[in-house]
Amino acid sequence: MLNSPNISPFVIFFASIITSNMILSNFLGMCSFISVSNEYKTASGLGKSVTMVMVVTTIINYVIYKYVVVPLSLEYLRYIIFIIVIAASVQIIELVMDRYLPDLHIKLGIFLPLITVNCAILGISLFMVIRNYDFWQTLLFGFGSGLGWWLAIATLAAIKEKVAKNNIPKGLEGPGLTFIITGLMALAFIGFSGIFVIQ
Amino acid sequence: MKKGYLYTIVFMFIVALVFTTVLASVNAIFKSRILTNEQLIEKKAVLNAMSITYNDNEIDKLFANIEEVKKDNLVYYALTDGSNQIEKYAVYFEGSGLWSTLTGYIGVGGNFKTLLGIDFTSQNETPGLGGRIEEEWFKVQFKGVSISDLPLTYGNGIDAITGATLTSKSVMKIINDTINNQVKELEAMK
Amino acid sequence: MKKELQTVFYRNLWKENPVIRQILGICSALAVTNLAVNSLVMGLGLMFVTALSSFTISLLRNYIPQRIRMIVQTLIIAAYVIVVDIFLKANLPEISKALGPYVGLIITNCIIMGRAEAFAQKNPPVLSLFDGLFAGLGYTIILLGVALIRELLGFGSVFGYSLNMVNFTPWTIMVMPPGAFFMIAIFIWISSNMMSKRTEKAKLKKQEAK
Repeated sequence: MLNSPNISPFVIFFASIITSNMILSNFLGMCSFISVSNEYKTASGLGKSVTMVMVVTTIINYVIYKYVVVPLSLEYLRYIIFIIVIAASVQIIELVMDRYLPDLHIKLGIFLPLITVNCAILGISLFMVIRNYDFWQTLLFGFGSGLGWWLAIATLAAIKEKVAKNNIPKGLEGPGLTFIITGLMALAFIGFSGIFVIQ
Repeated sequence: MKKGYLYTIVFMFIVALVFTTVLASVNAIFKSRILTNEQLIEKKAVLNAMSITYNDNEIDKLFANIEEVKKDNLVYYALTDGSNQIEKYAVYFEGSGLWSTLTGYIGVGGNFKTLLGIDFTSQNETPGLGGRIEEEWFKVQFKGVSISDLPLTYGNGIDAITGATLTSKSVMKIINDTINNQVKELEAMK
Repeated sequence: MKKELQTVFYRNLWKENPVIRQILGICSALAVTNLAVNSLVMGLGLMFVTALSSFTISLLRNYIPQRIRMIVQTLIIAAYVIVVDIFLKANLPEISKALGPYVGLIITNCIIMGRAEAFAQKNPPVLSLFDGLFAGLGYTIILLGVALIRELLGFGSVFGYSLNMVNFTPWTIMVMPPGAFFMIAIFIWISSNMMSKRTEKAKLKKQEAK
C-alpha cells in the first residue's frame, strides 16, 4: 500500500474548484449538469445539494473504507459498498432535513433523489481511494469538488439564460449549444492552470 | 403487488448473498493472475526506464541479468553485462503529483552521466491533462539527458504539457530529487 | 420477436441514441475518449453490463419489492461492473490502468439505470437483454466516433498506429477535455439536423398525399 501523497489539502481544495474541476476536466456529473441548467436558481440549488451530499458521503466512505473494507480485504467489493453508502446517506439526509430543516428540504429536497446517480459523488469516493488521500485531503477534496461543481453549473446556467434570447442555429438548440458553452468554459478554466505553487 | 417487510428483507438478503458469492469466486479465480499482471507492469517499467527494447515473451529471460536491490529507502534494479559490470540502473521513485502519488523508475547509465529514460507504474492525474505524462513523446524527452548539471529544467528540448503545468513541474521535481538523493547515494556506494 | 428486435435496434442506435439524442451516460466516458482503444474497451464493458443487468432485472421483475427496487437494481449493476473490473485487471492490465476509476463509474452511468427502469421493468428477459445490448452499442459507436477523430487530430494516429503524416502538427486541444465537449456538440448538431430534415420530408409527403 502506498503512502498518502505529500500534497497540502489546501492545494487540493483550490485545485479541485478551479483547475481540475469535476465537470470541466473530469466529465463527472454530466447528466444533471446538462439537464438541470436552464435556470440559474434551480441550478444553484442543485449545486448546493451536491456539495453537501459530497462532503457527507466522502467522509463516510473514507471511514468505512479505511476501518472496515481494508482490514477485511474486501477491496474488490468497494463499488457496491460505496454506492450503497451513497444511496443510504442521501435517504438519511432527506429524512433529517425534513424533520429539522423543513424550509431547506422544500428548496433542495427535489434534487436529492437525482443525486444518488450523480457520477461525481461516486467519482470522488473512487478517486480518494485510488489516490490514497488521508483524512484532511479527503475532506477538502470532497468539499472543493462540490464547490467546483456548483460553480460550474451555476455559471453555465447563467450563460444559458443570456444566450437563450439570441438567434441560435436550429440544430444546435438545447444540448448542442450547451456542450459548446461547456467546452469554452473548460478552455477558460484550463487557463488557470499553474496559479498554485505546490509544496 | 404489495409484499410484507419480511419478504423485502429476505429478498434483499438473498440477492446480496448470491451476488457476493459470485463476486467472491470471480475474485478468487483471477486473483493470482492480477498479481502477475501487476508484477509484469513493474518489470516493463524497469525495462522501459533502462530503454531496453523487448517483446512480451522475453521479459523473464531479460530479467535473468537484472537484480533487484532494496536498501532502506533506496530501491533499484541493476542490469549486469557479461563481465559482472553494472551497465544500467533503474531507480524507483515515489513523489507527489498534482493529485496523486506518482511512482515509477528512472534509468541511469552505469557511469552516472546520463538519464536512460523514465516510466511510471502508477499515476492518477486528470486524464487528457496531467495524465498525459504517460504519453511516449513526453517520456522520450528524458532519454539521454545529461545529469552533470542539475537541476534539470523545462526548455532546451524538454517540453512541459500544455494545460498541465503543475503535473509537469511535479515530474521535474521528482526527477531532480531522485537524482539528487537516490542516484547520488548509489554513486557514492559504488 | 424479429420485428420487436428491429424496433429495439433502430430505436437505440439512432432515434433515441442514448448519447446524442437523450444526452445520457456522458459522465463516465468522455474522459477516456482521447484514445480509440480505451473507448472501445469502455464501450464493450458498458454493453456487457447493460445487457446482463437488463436481463437479470427483467428476470426478477415480478419478485423485486417496489420499495427497494432502486437499491436492488444498483446492486445488480454494481456486481456486473465489478466482474468487468476484475476481468480487465486480469486480462488487459494496461488498459485497466489507463481507464482507472472510470470503469467503476459505469455504475452511475445513466444509460444502464435508464434501460432498467424504462424497459427491463416491463419486458421479457431476452428482449431486455437485446435492448440493453443495443443501447450499449449505440453508446459505443458514438464514443468510438468521438475517440477516432480526437486521436487522429490530437496524436495523428488510429488505434495507436501512427500514420506518420509529414508536416502534421498535432491539435493538442483535441486530446484535452474541451476537445471532447466540442466533438460531442458537433455530433449532436449533425444528428439533430438530419433528424429535423427527415421529419420535414415526412411532413411534405403527408401534405402532398392530401
